[in-house]
Amino acid sequence: MRRRLLAAALLAALPLSALAQASGQGGFKIGDRLQPKSGPPERKAARFREIKWDELISPSWNPEAIIKSMNLDMMLDSDPRAIAAMERLRQEWDNAPGNPALEGADVRLPGFVVPLEREGNALREFLLVPYFGACIHVPPPPANQTVYVVAKKPAKDTATMDAVWVSGRISLYRMRTRMGAIGYRLDAELVEPYVANKP
Amino acid sequence: MRTLLALALRSAWNRRLTLGLTLAAVALSSLLLLGVERLRADLRASFATSVSGVDLIVGARGSPVALMLYSVFRMGEVTQNVSWASAQWLAQHPAVAWTVPVSLGDSHRGYPVLGTTTAYFDHFRYGDRRALALAEGRRFDELYEAVLGAEVAARLGYRLGQRITLAHGSGEGPGMEHGDKPFTVVGILARTGTPVDRSVHISLESMEALHLDWAGGAPIPGLSIPPALARKFDLTPKAVTAVFVGLESRAAVFGVQREVNAHRDEALMGVLPGVALDELWQLVAVAERYARLVSMLVVAVGLTGLVAVVLAGLNERRRELAILRSVGARPRDVFALLALEGGAVAALGALAGALLVAVLVLLLAPWLQAHYGLTLSGGAPSAQQWRLLAGIIGVGVLASLIPGWRAYRLSLADGMTPRL
Amino acid sequence: MTEPAVRICDLRFAWPGQAAACLDIAEFTVARGESVFVHGESGSGKSTLLALLGGVLVPQAGSVNVLGTELTRLSAGSRDRFRVDHTGFIFQQFNLIPYLSMQDNVLLPCRFSERRRQRALQRSATLADEARRLLAELDLDPSLWRRPVTQLSVGQQQRVAAARALIGEPELVIADEPTSALDAARQAAFLDLLARECAQAGATLIFVSHDSRLASHCSRAVALADLQRAAAPA
Repeated sequence: MRRRLLAAALLAALPLSALAQASGQGGFKIGDRLQPKSGPPERKAARFREIKWDELISPSWNPEAIIKSMNLDMMLDSDPRAIAAMERLRQEWDNAPGNPALEGADVRLPGFVVPLEREGNALREFLLVPYFGACIHVPPPPANQTVYVVAKKPAKDTATMDAVWVSGRISLYRMRTRMGAIGYRLDAELVEPYVANKP
Repeated sequence: MRTLLALALRSAWNRRLTLGLTLAAVALSSLLLLGVERLRADLRASFATSVSGVDLIVGARGSPVALMLYSVFRMGEVTQNVSWASAQWLAQHPAVAWTVPVSLGDSHRGYPVLGTTTAYFDHFRYGDRRALALAEGRRFDELYEAVLGAEVAARLGYRLGQRITLAHGSGEGPGMEHGDKPFTVVGILARTGTPVDRSVHISLESMEALHLDWAGGAPIPGLSIPPALARKFDLTPKAVTAVFVGLESRAAVFGVQREVNAHRDEALMGVLPGVALDELWQLVAVAERYARLVSMLVVAVGLTGLVAVVLAGLNERRRELAILRSVGARPRDVFALLALEGGAVAALGALAGALLVAVLVLLLAPWLQAHYGLTLSGGAPSAQQWRLLAGIIGVGVLASLIPGWRAYRLSLADGMTPRL
Repeated sequence: MTEPAVRICDLRFAWPGQAAACLDIAEFTVARGESVFVHGESGSGKSTLLALLGGVLVPQAGSVNVLGTELTRLSAGSRDRFRVDHTGFIFQQFNLIPYLSMQDNVLLPCRFSERRRQRALQRSATLADEARRLLAELDLDPSLWRRPVTQLSVGQQQRVAAARALIGEPELVIADEPTSALDAARQAAFLDLLARECAQAGATLIFVSHDSRLASHCSRAVALADLQRAAAPA
């Protein structure tokens, strides 16, 4: 519970520094996240377990010690120490361990599209990010909150920052970056447009 | 119904001159609408497959779309460069698997010259991660060696060993030739269907050597360094136009992009090709929408002409309709007869337009390939194109209900003996 | 005893918007197999009468009984069907559809009526054969059959129209001034030919014209003016 609040706080803090409010398809604003439950999935997607983005971080990750040492409630937003603290927190988050329990699981995850490779007009490979505006205005998500998706059937009519449900088998791999962080890859069986919850 | 259809076709054939002209009008307007759609889809696909496997394109801070258009498509231009120091920094970054620096600015008889390293031949991919292959010869090794794209070699008739001179900029204007330093063709690439085909590839060192005795876009008067002497100089480039970057892990791209954008030593910009392409399409989307709107209006004009012609011919056909009534045709048969005639002409016109599109694509494709390095697929029409075609036919059939209705009313009033 | 071919009782028809009735006929009967000459000046309402007999128009009052069927009680579609099933029409001119061949013009009723199609096939092996047979009977040379119908003379066109009216053996043949466009010498010949063919087929012929000289070719002659009840002064 604590961890979820923290993740929410981190993510809420990031888009506050965004410059413009751009809205894309479906009227999303920068920093918007998708509601996890959006009605019953199609029959085809029924065997995929729905997961949330913070499940991609190991449940054992506990940044509480660091937060405590920051005394955030004693600082103002513009305090340079607050900014440095946020930066350090961000680095910790960047290098949080992955969740090995997800290895090989059939999952379903909603997110926004960042295209990589196209086949004709259809999208074959893309990155899935948790919130709208990533890579455009707001600071982008860390590698453990970016899923590299390879679609078995290239997705038609999908463009940058489209909201989609991706269903498929997820796997972990160690990335060859400075800190050796964990990355996720999803071999997608299905890529469906995200339909918002009816109020 | 078969009788009516046979009658409708015979009747239409009888008036084939006038109906033929309206059919041509419908065909041309269909050609416009379907052609615009086809071009749009094919060009998008062609753009998207021109580069593959590149995670970031790094250039001087500016417009991402302009950088991509220039570095990948050799279209337009970029004013600022990336310093060699920054290119080295990128190459040594732990998250980066490979880099290919590229330099643009010269040309050969209208074809752009690309200065790069041999890593280009290893890492540059297109389409479905396809690698570049040499049809003939080898890569450049020494100074003053060039590798040609397939289109350049084919169109200019160059073979291996050909000597060519490069020109500065677009090559227009006097004194822009690098006449003192000719190049030798040592390799010709296999056809890719991308802008690679139109490019002349030389090493970065060769590019540097070309401009040793140039400054600010023109040769320094009185200074002329012969080709052999140029080797003695340090030919490490000072700057490049852009750097193609491939990462160890694709999902790490955001972090690297952030670092590039925040690089303290130089104002740099990291562009995700997929995202930049989508941005390009957004810019173009408005124009596309207008083009489609105009095309639809033109189709409406064509169909209106058809309806007008059929209506105009109705008056002189009242005797004929009366005869049909006398042999048992009901007013609704008369309606069907006229509607079928109009509908058949509309449908045939639309199909003729679709055929014309296919023919035009065949004719235009080589020209587009040669001048822009873009491929028009000669394949079957897409679902969207079938939908448009069905739409034109549908609207044409609906419009034909108007003369059908008029004929129905006339027939009711006239019976077997029209009062003419 | 068989029903009469045509029986009209207390017929009253006025065109919409007109106060005075165009037709006001107390009684008009035509027996089966008769050939009746109806004399009427232009504007006397003879075309209207034929339209009523064909079921194209419906009277405001009275009954129109053709071959035992009360036309006024049928729906519009049924009247259209009845017309082609049992009646053949010949008009004054422009009888033929210009974009069809002679043969196809003759076969038109068979396309719209299953009954006439069957009866035509009883006479000949194929519809095309039956059409050719009738054309030959009406003195239309086979050499003409390939020609587009617009190139035929008026006399030839009228005979093609007659063939069309007769194919499939309708019980009733109605001719509206068929000879008015022909020259004098041909008129009598055409009427004779027509009457002969109808007699052969056992069909009733109603022949309407303003030229009373032709009345002699039919078994009975009436004047439309006589049929009309005298219009009462307003």
